[in-house]
Amino acid sequence: MASTLDEPTMALIVRHDLKLSAGKVAVQCAHAAVSCTLNAKKSNGRLVERWRQSGARKICLKAEDLAELQRLAGQAQSVGIVSYLVKDAGHTEVEPGTITVLGLGPGPRRAIDALVGELKPY
Amino acid sequence: MGLRSFIHSMTAPRTQGNAPEEEVKMVLVVNHGLKMGKGKIAAQVGHGAVIATMKAGKERPAYLESWLSSGQKKICVKGTDAAHLERLEQEAKELNILTARVHDAGHTQIPSGSFTILVLGPAEEAKLEPVTGALKLL
Repeated sequence: MASTLDEPTMALIVRHDLKLSAGKVAVQCAHAAVSCTLNAKKSNGRLVERWRQSGARKICLKAEDLAELQRLAGQAQSVGIVSYLVKDAGHTEVEPGTITVLGLGPGPRRAIDALVGELKPY
Repeated sequence: MGLRSFIHSMTAPRTQGNAPEEEVKMVLVVNHGLKMGKGKIAAQVGHGAVIATMKAGKERPAYLESWLSSGQKKICVKGTDAAHLERLEQEAKELNILTARVHDAGHTQIPSGSFTILVLGPAEEAKLEPVTGALKLL
């Protein structure tokens, strides 16, 4: 049996400087989760299956600002982890095109932890 | 369904025309009685959206395609407790709206198996309105 550390995981990182409502954050995270899953299915379907079968683990973390999200997205790309930046359509709380959430993974838990280990839970 | 057929079902051209005629959205109803933290809610809603997306891919591919190509419209509303979520689920099923549930594994904050999120759709807004129209936004 694989240890917990080998189970794939997904990280959803919320921009804390935007002061979004809980419902807005939830919806934006859902958006990231769906898009990351569909993208990862194309590039690494087996991993996505393993992730779903092991409970589709997700964690929700916070980042200081846009620069931090972009830095994390860049680092993820350089190590081959699927990433997706959610741009809000701006119907409600923020300006159209505002980047709100970064989704990472599903990917190997060790690799994701190495990227986001410093961040605090949202 | 295997992965290959899932991908095929998402990318193959459609021949039969049962596509929705108006814009479709997804409604995520949060069990507010559980007093989950906002990060917890966000992760649970994320689960719900992924589960509902996969389910729609199998059962209503035309709805999924229309939803994905129109910006994945979603809203997040409050339900009072598990019984309320079950009632809404029943009403939605009677209207032939696709439903999905999230039960928490219970690693943090709440008891294992708690019914945390009910997902309705993707479905036409007009069809969802009688079921979820009275619920408050989260």
